[in-house]
Amino acid sequence: MSTLKHKGKGPQAMTANELRDGFSVWLDENLDWSRDYANALRTEDQDLIDRMQLKAETDEAKNLVVGTYFIDVEPDTGLPARYREKFRVNGPSYDTADLLEAK
Amino acid sequence: MYRYDEFDAQFVAERTKQFRGQVERRLAGRLSENEFRPLRLMNGLYLQLHAYMLRVAIPYGTLSSEQFRMLAHLAEKYDRGYGHVTTRQNMQYNWPKLPDVPDMLDDLASVQMHAIQTSGNCIRNVTCDPYAGATAEEIEDPRPMAELIRQWSTLHPEFSFLPRKFKIAVTAAEKDRALIKAHDIGIQVVKDASGEIGYKIIVGGGLGRTPIIGQTLRDYLPKSELLAYLTAALRVYNRYGRRDNKYKARIKILVQETGIEAFREQVEAEYATIDIGDIAVSDAERDRIKSYFANPDFETLEDNPADFTKALEDNQAFRLWAKNNVAAHKADGYAIVNVSLKPKELAPGDITAEQMRATADLADTYSFGELRTTHTQNLVLPHVKKSDLFALYKELEKIGLATANINLISDIICCPGMDFCALATARSIPISQAIAERFADPERQRTIGEMQIKISGCINACGHHHVGHIGILGLEKAGVEFYQVKLGGDSSENAAVGKVTGPGFSQEELLDGIENIVELYLAQREEGERFLDTYNRIGMAPFKEVLYA
Repeated sequence: MSTLKHKGKGPQAMTANELRDGFSVWLDENLDWSRDYANALRTEDQDLIDRMQLKAETDEAKNLVVGTYFIDVEPDTGLPARYREKFRVNGPSYDTADLLEAK
Repeated sequence: MYRYDEFDAQFVAERTKQFRGQVERRLAGRLSENEFRPLRLMNGLYLQLHAYMLRVAIPYGTLSSEQFRMLAHLAEKYDRGYGHVTTRQNMQYNWPKLPDVPDMLDDLASVQMHAIQTSGNCIRNVTCDPYAGATAEEIEDPRPMAELIRQWSTLHPEFSFLPRKFKIAVTAAEKDRALIKAHDIGIQVVKDASGEIGYKIIVGGGLGRTPIIGQTLRDYLPKSELLAYLTAALRVYNRYGRRDNKYKARIKILVQETGIEAFREQVEAEYATIDIGDIAVSDAERDRIKSYFANPDFETLEDNPADFTKALEDNQAFRLWAKNNVAAHKADGYAIVNVSLKPKELAPGDITAEQMRATADLADTYSFGELRTTHTQNLVLPHVKKSDLFALYKELEKIGLATANINLISDIICCPGMDFCALATARSIPISQAIAERFADPERQRTIGEMQIKISGCINACGHHHVGHIGILGLEKAGVEFYQVKLGGDSSENAAVGKVTGPGFSQEELLDGIENIVELYLAQREEGERFLDTYNRIGMAPFKEVLYA
């Protein structure tokens, strides 16, 4: 989970890690968890944000995900505002596994 | 190689069974994440930026070929086909899945390995000179002492919840290949005036956000008193180390704030209360441990066999590899082989499962089935016949592990950085690869000579940037990575923390700056000087000038 505080202003997205596989996930429009940030629900609607919060707490209690938290989203790009979160979206820029797969 | 005794085998088996139960309860929801987190960390399982990460302990960096094959098996079966050698001689896997981890630990236990105490505020895996038992430079093999500390510190009830993590490194040579002055405690095997072998104890070293070079706590400690004295030092730290601020909780801060003299008095006062006989290890037990580290059956050989010298004459690539990667062995006709894990195309320290298996086979064929990991993120085959070196070199070539760059500019220490680590502030792997690419020409690397570049992706300094001849620290501001440079660090027995040159750089500026530094060094160096020597002679100012030109 991020140790960096987000401002909680502007559009928000909810993120976590899957409990079993550990992968980064984001809540999508159906309030399901997606491994693809492109599907992430990004909203300023307080009702939706409240529902996202509730869903995150519920799924954490159900042991589907761990370390839930909201991230700030850039209104113009839709990308996470913080550099670290941008990085979580894209995955490693280098991974030896990618070279092995390419072989 | 040390073999587990009954106690080791039992506690590891119990611990893996216990962790299996904990994982099952976590997955079933009977343990919350808050309850589970400290349990998984005690077993080396982190949740990183993109996935879980399992850190496997390699005690004092010594591995059998069987163990290395198991590490390959874990990489292939449970991870994504590779592992990463860390700067504490351990092996990390970047993509394990939680339900698989108990099976991974069972597999590790089957070859007498585990992941216990690779995390948490306890005494971590003891690290060691990777040439131990093979170099003529050492007074004796330090690994029996390291193994003794492993046994003493494993699940030590008094020291399982220290103010902060505690790292011990050992060496028996004057030439320090274990970075003992940058550890919480460093131990050097020494002799007293009468020639009796004992230990010099260094305390309060460390890197991280507050780099400090360790100071001498005891010039000479009789062998039999080691555990009692360590107990006294740990007790003082446990009692007075700060627990209110984790950034000031390491023993280095306590020693710095207390002063070495006063700290020594505290340790000696505590030591006086300990019944040494109660904790001391008998000579018989010491000998039992030592017997596991006996020399392999070295043959009586000519030191420079004709086939070896002929291969050197006939094959330039082999000659250059041998010059860079091969070190002197204590036995005539043998050599210590450094296997570089810094080929240009891989991240520093990464090794594929296929390479692990092949290297394990080579260890069986050429090095009595033994390997070492190094804190510089390379491997060592400790006992290779010189007459086998050419054949070994050709085999290493086939698996992409014959890069002849040990201690050269592309032999970079590099933490995983933002590509994997949850604590990182910037990437480090792409920087190391860009530097390796920029200085890819082997001839140019050899012209530059010894040059240690060390890169960390955050101030926690896992990439040892403070002690790099050129140290690079990755930071981020307003969504942009930038890199701060230190010059003049030294990881040897003359350990020194480098000095920050000034404001940071973009990656491109950094590469140009390093190139300028290298060019200035080449222009200024005197006969026989390494970069560090030239830097120490002429100072930072001229290097800073070209760095910011």
